[in-house]
Amino acid sequence: MDTIKNELQMNSFDRVLDKLCLTPIGLAGLILLLILPFIPPFNQEYMLRWLIYCGFIAAMSVGFDFTAGFINIVNFGYMAVAGTGGYTSALLVINAGLSPWIAMVAGGVSSAILGLIIGMISLRLRGIFAACLSWFFGLAVMGLATKMVWLTRGPLGLRVPRLFETESNFPFYFLIIILVYLTYLVCKWVVRSKMGLAFQAIGQNMDAARTSGVDPVFYRVFNFTMSCAIAGVLGGFYAHFYGILTPDMMHTSKTVEVLAVAYIGGRGSLWGGAVIAFPFIFLMEIVRSTLSNLPGLNLVIYALVLILVMIYYPGGFSYFYDTHIRHPKNRVLRYLLNGRDA
Amino acid sequence: MSKNYTSYILPWVKTAPGMSIVISIVVTVAATIDAGPYLLVNMVVTGGMLALVATGLTLMLGVLNIPMFAHGEYFMIGSLIAYYIFTPISEFIFEHPESWLVTFGPFIAIIGALAGGAIAGAISEKLVFGPLRRRSTDNWVMNSFLLTVGLSVLLINLHQLIFGADFKGIVGYWQGMPISIADVYVSKDRVMAFIISAVIVALFYLFMTYTRTGMAIRAVSQDIIGAEIVGIDIEKIVLLTISLACALAGVAGGSLLFMYPSYPTVGLEPLYMAWFVVILSGLGNILGAVAGAFMVALLKVITMEYVGAGWDFVVPSALIMFILIFKPSGIFGSDVRGVLDK
Repeated sequence: MDTIKNELQMNSFDRVLDKLCLTPIGLAGLILLLILPFIPPFNQEYMLRWLIYCGFIAAMSVGFDFTAGFINIVNFGYMAVAGTGGYTSALLVINAGLSPWIAMVAGGVSSAILGLIIGMISLRLRGIFAACLSWFFGLAVMGLATKMVWLTRGPLGLRVPRLFETESNFPFYFLIIILVYLTYLVCKWVVRSKMGLAFQAIGQNMDAARTSGVDPVFYRVFNFTMSCAIAGVLGGFYAHFYGILTPDMMHTSKTVEVLAVAYIGGRGSLWGGAVIAFPFIFLMEIVRSTLSNLPGLNLVIYALVLILVMIYYPGGFSYFYDTHIRHPKNRVLRYLLNGRDA
Repeated sequence: MSKNYTSYILPWVKTAPGMSIVISIVVTVAATIDAGPYLLVNMVVTGGMLALVATGLTLMLGVLNIPMFAHGEYFMIGSLIAYYIFTPISEFIFEHPESWLVTFGPFIAIIGALAGGAIAGAISEKLVFGPLRRRSTDNWVMNSFLLTVGLSVLLINLHQLIFGADFKGIVGYWQGMPISIADVYVSKDRVMAFIISAVIVALFYLFMTYTRTGMAIRAVSQDIIGAEIVGIDIEKIVLLTISLACALAGVAGGSLLFMYPSYPTVGLEPLYMAWFVVILSGLGNILGAVAGAFMVALLKVITMEYVGAGWDFVVPSALIMFILIFKPSGIFGSDVRGVLDK
């Protein structure tokens, strides 16, 4: 009864927002991100480069959280999967002369196949064992990319044509913002459906889920495939943005970067990582470039933040937001933060 | 009498541990005949080092349920301490070639590495794991895993920040002619490294099996509440376990300083290999970890010999994944229940 009343009360704006999985404040944030490159300190090219990197990490952390936050398995080879997508895309463009746009999708498909394989072979394992398996898989893929010099040029790096034929970073910035949002939207739609419920059930208690008639095999494999497909497309973006691809991209430390952002943002929220990535990675880049005589300081701060969050606030930013900010007394504020449905 | 033995041995050979051990022995012998005895020596030295690191990892995982991702960093700490102890000693030896330090100086460095690893472990328990244990409510394995990821990044970058990223290595611990074993010349350092690791693993095994403290540690690993009821001081045991595990990694780093010079990410390779061992051999089984260490070392050495350097992550990890598909709990492990097992 309540829901029907809500449906009736919703005006069309709220309904569209709801379909787009945004709250008014989320929409404002998205608009802010879109006009950010025109605001003075951020309109320099190097700042834009940082912001694009923030966007890349944000999108990756959403895809990562889709696995880690819902079925509770850390895909520790996530960057290797993304790198596979990147290499597939780059090689298709270079050797087959495909357009980068189609090649990016092909990269996504190749990563999805990889995800399917990881999902299948990790079926018999749980928790940390599945994480280790995906990690070994990532190490093996990275080793392959390093050693197949005839194809990937190994550590020398593969020169990749860029997505847009300009020196400017502007189109890339808008593209990555769109990609962040699309990633979020697709994941959120899946999570909102019955499937998301099944994911959570599997993540929390697999035996109980199975007893209730949820088939873990299908859902786990589906989850892995989808999150890896996202990683593949984003890897293609990475390749065609930086214009150079080395096996270093697949390194575990890069996965750790994504993982840290996803967990500081809050597991199981999808938006937490995306929100936290922009200020956090941006600050890290500032620290790295201004204190370049102290190499590694930004990563020290990074690690300290991760450790402190894990000890004192394992729910991350989204948990903090949900418990302390989300439900203010003021009705207008509450509408802004939650949209109509709350 | 001999019939009695065969009736024991035949069924054992048919089990997974028996089969894998027999296969590894056969492969070792075949490869040694084919490529030369240096392969066997390499395998034994690498295996001894891996056994130390992997035993520590098994201990952490079995007793405290911490999937330690930072274990390689204690290896790095050990090698760093050994370097800073041994450099002045080697200068002194250079001026006084007849002093007693020529023989015993390296032992001082290695014992320093052992103590340093233990102290570093105790400090990290006090600062990091202790607070997490007191605050953590659920999802302990994942939280502690992420914590160790942060710890690993922190220690690597602190090393880079304080000591710099250059290689801090030594030529060798013990001077003099290499020892000749079966027509192979093996440097004294390698022989000593193997002897040290063998002695320490043996001592450790005896400690765990026969002393009261070792029994207490095993009791805690089996049932933490039961152990508390019979009057075991959990806090003390946990502190002891962590410092023991880290001391094992530290002594491995110290005694292998001549092979692995100390630099920030030196610990990653032993860490990967140790995780291979732990996953391959299954959990909570120290003898299994030792046997698994030699198997992984064999895999690595054979890959280096017949496939080429640089493939030593690809082939072992592929093979381990293959084994895990059929034996998800590892070769020597007990039950890990996955999705497909009812």
